[in-house]
Amino acid sequence: MPCAMELPSTPDELAAQQADSAALKELLKDPSRWHSIPLLNYTPLHKLKDQTLVRFRGMIQDMMDPEIYLERYEVKSADGIKRVQEGKYRDCLKIATGEVIDYNADGNVHGERRTMFVVSVPGLNDWSKEHEKQCCPQIDLASLGQSPSSAKKRTIVGEEDAMDVDGVSETTFKRPCLKEIQKDSEPVGASKSSVLGSEYLLNSPLPDRPSMACMVKVYDEFDTYQLNSLVDFVGFLSVDVSLDAATLDVDDCENLSELQAAHPSPFLIPRLHAFGVQVLPHANPLLDKSLRQPTEICEESHPTQLAVHKDLRMLLKLCLFDDDLAAEYLLSHLISTVYSRSEMQSIGKFALNLCNLPKNCEAYATKLYTILELLLPASHYMPMTLGTLNTAAFAPKKDYETNKLVSGVLQLAPHTHLVLDETCMQQGKLEANGVHAVQHLAHLINNQELKCDFQYYQIDYQANIPILVLSEGRSMLPSDFVLPINADAKAVELVDESLKAAHHYLQPSRLQQFRKYLTTARTSGFNVSEEHTEMIQQDFVDMRKANVKSNADDLHGLLVLSRLLGIARGKDTLDKETWQLATEFEAKRRQRIQSLPKSSAQMRN
Amino acid sequence: MARRDYAQDRESIKTFLSEFCKCDDDGKKEFVYGSQLVKLAHREQVLITIDLDDLAEFNESLAEAVVDNCRRYTSIFSDVIAELLPSYKQQEVHAKDALDVYIEHRLMMESRTRNPMEQRDERNSFPSELMKRFEVGFKPVSTEKAHSIREVKAQHIGKLVTVRGIVTRCTEVKPMMVVATYTCDRCGSETYQPVNSLSFTPVHDCPSDDCRVNKAGGRLYLQTRGSKFVKFQEVKMQEHSDQVPVGHIPRSMTIMCRGEVTRMAQPGDHIVVSGVFLPLMRTGFAQMIQGLLSETFLQAHRIICINKNDEISDKDAELTPEELEELAQDDFYERLATSLAPEIYGHLDVKKALLLLLVGGVDKRPDGMKIRGNINICLMGDPGVAKSQLLGYISRLAVRSQYTTGRGSSGVGLTAAVMKDPLTGEMTLEGGALVLADQGVCCIDEFDKMADQDRTAIHEVMEQQTISIAKAGIMTTLNARVSILAAANPAFGRYNPRRTVEQNIQLPAALLSRFDLLWLIQDKPDRDNDLRLAKHITYVHSHSKQPPTRVKALDMNLMRRYINLCKRKNPTIPDELTDYIVGAYVELRREARNQKDMTFTSARNLLGILRLSTALARLRLSDSVEKDDVAEALRLLEMSKDSLNQIHEHQKGHVPNTSDRIFAIVRELAGSGKAVKIADIMDRCTTKGFKPDQVDKCIDDYEELNVWQVNMGRTKITFM
Repeated sequence: MPCAMELPSTPDELAAQQADSAALKELLKDPSRWHSIPLLNYTPLHKLKDQTLVRFRGMIQDMMDPEIYLERYEVKSADGIKRVQEGKYRDCLKIATGEVIDYNADGNVHGERRTMFVVSVPGLNDWSKEHEKQCCPQIDLASLGQSPSSAKKRTIVGEEDAMDVDGVSETTFKRPCLKEIQKDSEPVGASKSSVLGSEYLLNSPLPDRPSMACMVKVYDEFDTYQLNSLVDFVGFLSVDVSLDAATLDVDDCENLSELQAAHPSPFLIPRLHAFGVQVLPHANPLLDKSLRQPTEICEESHPTQLAVHKDLRMLLKLCLFDDDLAAEYLLSHLISTVYSRSEMQSIGKFALNLCNLPKNCEAYATKLYTILELLLPASHYMPMTLGTLNTAAFAPKKDYETNKLVSGVLQLAPHTHLVLDETCMQQGKLEANGVHAVQHLAHLINNQELKCDFQYYQIDYQANIPILVLSEGRSMLPSDFVLPINADAKAVELVDESLKAAHHYLQPSRLQQFRKYLTTARTSGFNVSEEHTEMIQQDFVDMRKANVKSNADDLHGLLVLSRLLGIARGKDTLDKETWQLATEFEAKRRQRIQSLPKSSAQMRN
Repeated sequence: MARRDYAQDRESIKTFLSEFCKCDDDGKKEFVYGSQLVKLAHREQVLITIDLDDLAEFNESLAEAVVDNCRRYTSIFSDVIAELLPSYKQQEVHAKDALDVYIEHRLMMESRTRNPMEQRDERNSFPSELMKRFEVGFKPVSTEKAHSIREVKAQHIGKLVTVRGIVTRCTEVKPMMVVATYTCDRCGSETYQPVNSLSFTPVHDCPSDDCRVNKAGGRLYLQTRGSKFVKFQEVKMQEHSDQVPVGHIPRSMTIMCRGEVTRMAQPGDHIVVSGVFLPLMRTGFAQMIQGLLSETFLQAHRIICINKNDEISDKDAELTPEELEELAQDDFYERLATSLAPEIYGHLDVKKALLLLLVGGVDKRPDGMKIRGNINICLMGDPGVAKSQLLGYISRLAVRSQYTTGRGSSGVGLTAAVMKDPLTGEMTLEGGALVLADQGVCCIDEFDKMADQDRTAIHEVMEQQTISIAKAGIMTTLNARVSILAAANPAFGRYNPRRTVEQNIQLPAALLSRFDLLWLIQDKPDRDNDLRLAKHITYVHSHSKQPPTRVKALDMNLMRRYINLCKRKNPTIPDELTDYIVGAYVELRREARNQKDMTFTSARNLLGILRLSTALARLRLSDSVEKDDVAEALRLLEMSKDSLNQIHEHQKGHVPNTSDRIFAIVRELAGSGKAVKIADIMDRCTTKGFKPDQVDKCIDDYEELNVWQVNMGRTKITFM
């Protein structure tokens, strides 16, 4: 019975349990175990004690060089008594005054650990944050101080130990509160001799939606971690003041910025020594078993996929000037994901360009985004203005001065939707940064890969970011599907009312349905039977006969679209009906593109 | 492992240094290290590098021991050398610097005043570090493979490892104290303090007997003249992009360089470093904050810049025998070609041409004139025929490459303009210039959309292989030895067979003739091909992987290394082939005159043939061009011309034969009338060079097709 064992509550306890690591792993598989651990994301630091068990959810933004540390070391006290101390899962030496560490002892064991720079999911929408917060167990500061829980009783010895160790245990308890105030009034570190601003240290991919950062130290399975993936870590918090490089007087100024970047203030960026990890397949908190879901949500009725699909399509149609085709494409876009990669292609991507937006609808794009924001767990709206293109950091870039990967807007977790609003673009000059930004965006759209700049070379990282471009004419960016909207004149007039109605329609319970529906659809599988494969092949040959211009890309598009249309309707295999629907839609879409006015560039050709 | 007997090792090192010799070409024995020791003794050389190949030849287990415990053996070697040096001194040594003079003085003084019975404080004797004016370095065995940084782990601590990477940062070269020398203000005696770490605590109280016994409390003062400093530099190195696993961040490593290995590399250099992997003992505060941590670094013994010296490339890039065997199969040319962009079907000849572009021809410089070896290729074709994919693949495969599109091409620091189309509201990008990768491949998509001034710059690049820049009053010419791979769309949406190439892609002939090969890639509906394509795509979609093919595609990395290997060859064209090539060229010219060719043949084609054939020879890793290479080059040229010409005939009558051409003449003769006399046809056709039986055949063919009727006397034809 797994319950026989409790999760460890201090590093020492964990070290003692290490012998039975298989049992510990088993213990961590049980999602209910995760429920009781407070989320660092939503718990103010001053409510947490140093070296308590916490969780942190986020995206791996950067990985640092491995650290070699003393896993076990001998300590000699003044009276010559030797004892062995565990160094795993902690940052500071645990020695009492008068004790010295024996660096040359034979019993010393060196180990390797890695530091991951994790930021809370960039672009996580308010509702998902709110929901995660509700799921997070609240810590009552008073109870923590006065009546120690049963778990704490067993560790009292260890804690007293910690107190006389460095004498700062007391102060760490209060210190965060002081810092908290400081943080509000001025950037931490500015008051110190820090050379780096807190914004630089926090390294949020989206600077206008700052995320929380945490340095997670992992001790095993180093190669399983991937950049930009979503993870949930369980481990011990470490917020010792002495971890801040800015508090130290450094005479060797050469690497000062690097030193400070590697050791920022723990109150700005806490450390977490992880022993449990879970890779999250999506960012939707509603479907995450490791979160304690509020009971009332679990009890609602489950309408069929098909019914939800119908409702959602109606809603999108309402928002898209009564254009049914556009609603189908947008819905397909919302559940699209790259499900397979071969050397040169990313299959399943569905970059959509909704163009031909009516010119007389003020700020329609932002209004549409407010609806999407409510449906998607994580998304980001970016106005494509010359200003943003020329100034914002798009792709991550390595800063060798500080040895940090400085993040960019495009460093997003998988399934974070990026909505680009090209309607606010003006004529003007694109600077070097802007040209690169467009190149990065185009590369991301075409290959679903993010180029990180390491100055001497660039490395492609796989991404899975669905991109929706809203524009008046055809977008300057490439896309898989260009769909000119057929705006109904009446609907254009009533667009404000329709959007208002849409908001009204989105009652909490319905919203939950939609949110769950989108994530489930995105993660579900889809098969094509042998017989249908042949049908598709035959269709393609016929298509080529009928229209010389059709090519391989069209077939890719059709396959992706038919898959998504099928999934949206709750199917798990392709049938003839869906395939015909896809071909029909594509034909309609092509017709609309044909009827678009030709630009002067195209006429010239 | 049993502990090594260091005393015994000392002895064998001594023998090794003094006796190891190699036979040179004349059969004379050359004492490799003996001669170096003489130079060291005369202060003509500072660094002595021990080649572990030599040591392994002498004593294999000793060489292994050196690799395993490198630091220890470095000091053993240096002690042995210090011991040996005096005996190698052949003449009076002139002092090179102040420290030499200082040491000489002290030694003289000591020998004069020394009382052999006196017990001296150890600190006051000269430390060996001060006396040694040489450095010892190890060169790893030549079979040693260069590691990537992430492969260097804790178990390598203390060992000699070789690591490959790129330099990201270097500090300035600073003096580092090795021996601190102090003088006492009371007794005047000198104290020496060897420094082994990055920092040291100065001594203050004089330890000499005089001061100690008398309790005089003499203070020590640091003396720079008598202290020994070495050059010191800290270098940061990072992994190459190809060593980083998917989804990971490149790792970095600190390298400490001392003495002669400083100033060997600059940021951006690709280097191979051999050195000892050591933990760094920081003292003071740093130890406190890190607490449990210890940093690691590589104490460099040898640094080689790969980019400066292409000959010495690292062992990693060498092909293993198995790989060579795999490549050496008969169909390797086809295999390599099909492995280019394996997901694109067919176009084998185009792929072959691209393969040759990657390998490149041989540069020639006959008497100051420079003839480029790089091959330029232009791909034309209707939109959607995978031109861009081919370009993308090539730019990925090439070691140095640049991919731009003509429309939005712009380099660092250059600007582009965003234009709004007044009619459609479309936003378009108007590009600036492009950046070229020297010694690489420059892929330009949408070549036809490129601005004229940029194309002018490309003229120079393509023939002269330089680029001229005029900026801020400075005119300069930079090397731009690039192969241009361009892709262009036809100007009228689709390729129009009734127009010439220039008209079709609206590029000047001067530019087009600079391309060694022009390909027209067509995309004709063809049942079998289409079905195959459809099968492929549906397979990829439903199985999430490439379908298994008959010929397994070669790994990109292997291709890259093979191409690198090929590039090192410089094949020549043997004299006996010249006639053949000249003959072939003359034939080409004549053909071009006779046929109404839509392409052109010029002297540049001759150079093109030479480039292609040398590239083919390189691909075979051969040192001379063979007739087959030239034949293949000619074939490729022919095929590329065919791809342009074929389409014309195609459009005229679908059966590209003489009958069609005769039919055209008949139509012309008939004009608006319906009947034509056969005699007239015969007349006209014979003047055009057709034979009477061909005309007869044509008449019969078209009669069968019911295009016309022939009267009974066979004198007249009437159109239906």
